Amino acid sequence: MRHGPLVFLAAFFALSASWFGFVLTPQVQLGRSVQETNSVMKAELYPNDRPGNARQGLEIYRANGCVYCHSQQVQQNGMLVNVVLTDAGKNTMAVADLLNEEHLGNFSGPSVGAGLPKTILTNASIDVATVLAKNVKTAGGVTQLRLVPVGPDIERGWGTRLTVAQDFVADATALPGSLRVGPDLANEGGRHRDLNWQYVHLYNPGAVTPKSPMPAYKFLFEQKKIGKQASPDALQLTGELKPAAGYEIVPKAEAKALVAYLVSLNSDTPLFEAPLTPPAPAKSTNAPAK
Amino acid sequence: MKSSTNQPVSNAPQDLGAKDPVVPVWLIVVCFLLLYWGAVYFDERGGWFSTQVYTPYVSTEQLNTIAAMQGPPDPRVLGAQVYGRTCIACHQGNAMGTPGTFPPLAGSDWVNEKEAGRMIRIVLHGFGGPGLVVKGQPFSTASVMTAFGSPPLVGLTDEEIAAVITYVRGNTEWGNHAAPVTPEQVKAIRDKTSSHSQSYTPAEIMTVNPAD
Repeated sequence: MRHGPLVFLAAFFALSASWFGFVLTPQVQLGRSVQETNSVMKAELYPNDRPGNARQGLEIYRANGCVYCHSQQVQQNGMLVNVVLTDAGKNTMAVADLLNEEHLGNFSGPSVGAGLPKTILTNASIDVATVLAKNVKTAGGVTQLRLVPVGPDIERGWGTRLTVAQDFVADATALPGSLRVGPDLANEGGRHRDLNWQYVHLYNPGAVTPKSPMPAYKFLFEQKKIGKQASPDALQLTGELKPAAGYEIVPKAEAKALVAYLVSLNSDTPLFEAPLTPPAPAKSTNAPAK
Repeated sequence: MKSSTNQPVSNAPQDLGAKDPVVPVWLIVVCFLLLYWGAVYFDERGGWFSTQVYTPYVSTEQLNTIAAMQGPPDPRVLGAQVYGRTCIACHQGNAMGTPGTFPPLAGSDWVNEKEAGRMIRIVLHGFGGPGLVVKGQPFSTASVMTAFGSPPLVGLTDEEIAAVITYVRGNTEWGNHAAPVTPEQVKAIRDKTSSHSQSYTPAEIMTVNPAD
């Protein structure tokens, strides 16, 4: 070889450059990332460590290869912004003029201040919405932005915002997955909080989601003779799945850990890097004292 | 033939009269324009390799603007979210807990007390110990509730504690009908009990006046 050292140096340089780019830089940027204060909840740490045996559940999830068919990353294409006027200020004429000029309604001075808060602009881009909010502020009014992330995954109900690196900080192994034979699980805990649903789904997926191609994980459960009284976590099964009289199906420790992990998957907290305005609950839960 | 031996034989191509090829000026200009456009594009949307900027967002300035204009979160939403992240692991999504280990919050006499003083203390400093009875069922002494009021574990703020307690106490789906709690109430109790480093026991919490 005529240029041995040169070839060696070139190969070394090429490999080390990619190592710096793909390994070292992400490690410096994200590897030391700690639980960060998220912008909406002011002082709370996010993400919390997974509670109790949910941490072991992650290992069960990994050992059973769930990650090969389920991703945990919600994607987002864009964001729609609604601008809500919460206060028209003292000089309502100025705000009314501004809105009329922008063709956002036909207001006389006092009518702007009636029926607040009211939405003055819907489904706008970030830039348009922030410009309007600044203009209203200049005119003396107060507005708030309502952020609605959009994308195919969000339409499917798999989550409310895009998944970011911060979502995985509490896990020793990040399992974002890459293949979607089954639905995305980034927000599984938000969709199915019922433990019995989760157990029955693992025991026989077809029982709760017809035509599911998911294999049954019956080896995570055991059939037991009912003792003095039925176990509190025995599966509530119906039809053909029902065990013989006097017997019950109970989850093994692995199934309990796995379900604890699945229920802990909940990524709809607004973050600085993935903002959203959580939709208000359908019915009021703040009932007055009776 | 004599002359050919004296002169060196050359295989080099003859100059056929063509000029040296030159890069056209317009190509250089186009290259610089592309470079300029690329730099501007990166500057506007690249986020300077920040780990906090993801598509569809373009820069930390944009995220800062959005965060500043968003307004405070709806306390009802906040309460449901804090419950979903913090309480759900033990008390479950239907607030029924686990028999013998984690007490239920749904329809619980502890939750539906007229004044929330005891509940606020439990969330702030933790709770557990012998003799706990909820809805007539005894509970194990082994599982002690974590103190959620301060780091290192969770560290909820006054607003969050007030929101989650209000959410639990007012959740009619769970059969709870108790009055809401304000962040000021939580702050008052937090200040009053700041020297309390252990979790409360059932015996101790019964000595507390719930209205205080």
